[in-house]
Amino acid sequence: MRAKWMKILKILRVSLSLAKANFILRIEGSYLGIFWYLLNPLALFYIILFIQKSAFAGSPTPHYPAYLMIGIIGLNFFRQVISSSIQSIAASGDYIKSMNNIAPEVLVLSVVFQSALSHFFEFILMIGFMVYWRISLLGLLFYPFIFAAFLLLVIGIAFIFAAVGVYITDIDNIWSIFAQLLLFITPIFYVATPGSAVYTANLFNPLFYFLEISRRLIIYSEWPPAWMALTMLILSLSFFVIGLAVFNKYKKKFAELV
Amino acid sequence: MDASPSVRISVNQIAKQFNIGFKHKDGALSSIVSAISGKESRKALSVLEDISFTATAGENIGLIGCNGSGKSTLLRLIAGIYQVDSGTIETYGELAYLNGFGFGLRWKMTMRENIYLAGLLMGLSRKEIGHRFSDIVKFAELENFIDTKIYQFSSGMLSRLSFSITFHCLEQKTPDIVLLDEVFGAGGDLAFQNKALAQMEKFIQGGATVILVSHNLDLIEKYCDRAILLDKGRILTEGQTAAVVKRYQDLINGPERPTAV
Repeated sequence: MRAKWMKILKILRVSLSLAKANFILRIEGSYLGIFWYLLNPLALFYIILFIQKSAFAGSPTPHYPAYLMIGIIGLNFFRQVISSSIQSIAASGDYIKSMNNIAPEVLVLSVVFQSALSHFFEFILMIGFMVYWRISLLGLLFYPFIFAAFLLLVIGIAFIFAAVGVYITDIDNIWSIFAQLLLFITPIFYVATPGSAVYTANLFNPLFYFLEISRRLIIYSEWPPAWMALTMLILSLSFFVIGLAVFNKYKKKFAELV
Repeated sequence: MDASPSVRISVNQIAKQFNIGFKHKDGALSSIVSAISGKESRKALSVLEDISFTATAGENIGLIGCNGSGKSTLLRLIAGIYQVDSGTIETYGELAYLNGFGFGLRWKMTMRENIYLAGLLMGLSRKEIGHRFSDIVKFAELENFIDTKIYQFSSGMLSRLSFSITFHCLEQKTPDIVLLDEVFGAGGDLAFQNKALAQMEKFIQGGATVILVSHNLDLIEKYCDRAILLDKGRILTEGQTAAVVKRYQDLINGPERPTAV
């Protein structure tokens, strides 16, 4: 049992080091540095805010900028992780074929952690905005818990995509289309009111629960309904367990296929 | 383990096939279908068949054979990187597999960062790497460039660094079984190559069970207690190194020279 825990700990440690190295490498020697990680969500944020103000006149909900910001950084994290997890195994033939002591899990987890690092900086940016918008920061105390559950979900899905990516090359293209659609399917820049068709459809969208719960707790200082929190937890745990099981089932074959 | 001398590797009647892509003469319709779907036809290629042998503690075994005879596949099966189709492989103790030096170096990182990252990937803890850090730098003769980004290194410096990292990490792990796939020829100048070879020699004779794959027959004869000759995925002969090497040379120079698959 202890040996198993030590192994998990080691996998996490190596993944984190690899994530850190790759995170730094992306901005190494660039003039804007960390700002590159923030540029994408910031650009999307300001464009949508601009369109909303000029074309639709008025906010669809109180504290709309904060509502939008949480949506964008949540979506951004999710999209980043899945996009990079698809190639995480398929493009690492060198490692997998020539090292008997590197667990393939490391390659997937390191891309998750790398995105988590950039999510962390986006989150700090949001705290800055919240101070500017004069929204109480108290709700942020809940975020670590929400993010922990979100992380489990994302890790599970990343494991599934990484394994499938080894077998089916098309998944890369399918995902890039789906990632675009996700911005519109999920209530990122609009509000889905209960009872509407888009709200019902989003009950099948795992991302929706995390955004909705984060917004309620952080911006509006209100408790999410119990069924919503419970669904979030069940989704996280199920995806995590299923993802690990799928990855474990196929990982022995990876070396011959990459 | 009470058997003496204790068995470290036991390979029992294993077989391995790969599904490889190939082109065959198709009708027009199936050509169009495969062009549209982008999928190529595959067929099973038998890479290893009916392989059995054991290796005991401290034994050095040379694995020789032409290209495509299945040497590297056999090492990867023993290392647990590939899975056997049938038969069993059992290994006892810490195992290290090495098929070259210096993959995974990051150009835009300093030598210090590269040493730590490569060490972690090779399974060492930060503390263990710290312990070996000065040895690695000193052996590579790069003491003046610790915080230089390695894209500015010459190719000789890079190969010295790669060898030094890999070798010291390997040594630190004190493996019971070492599988070496064509790792001689460390790069660098002649002086460094000799130094590297001397280190490798010390390591090979240090008591671990070593399986050595090499086309350099002199090395095999020098280091190995016995040898195995693979041909087209089967063991053609095994036994005393000199005799097996002789048989291999006859095979290459003989009338029915085997062709690579």
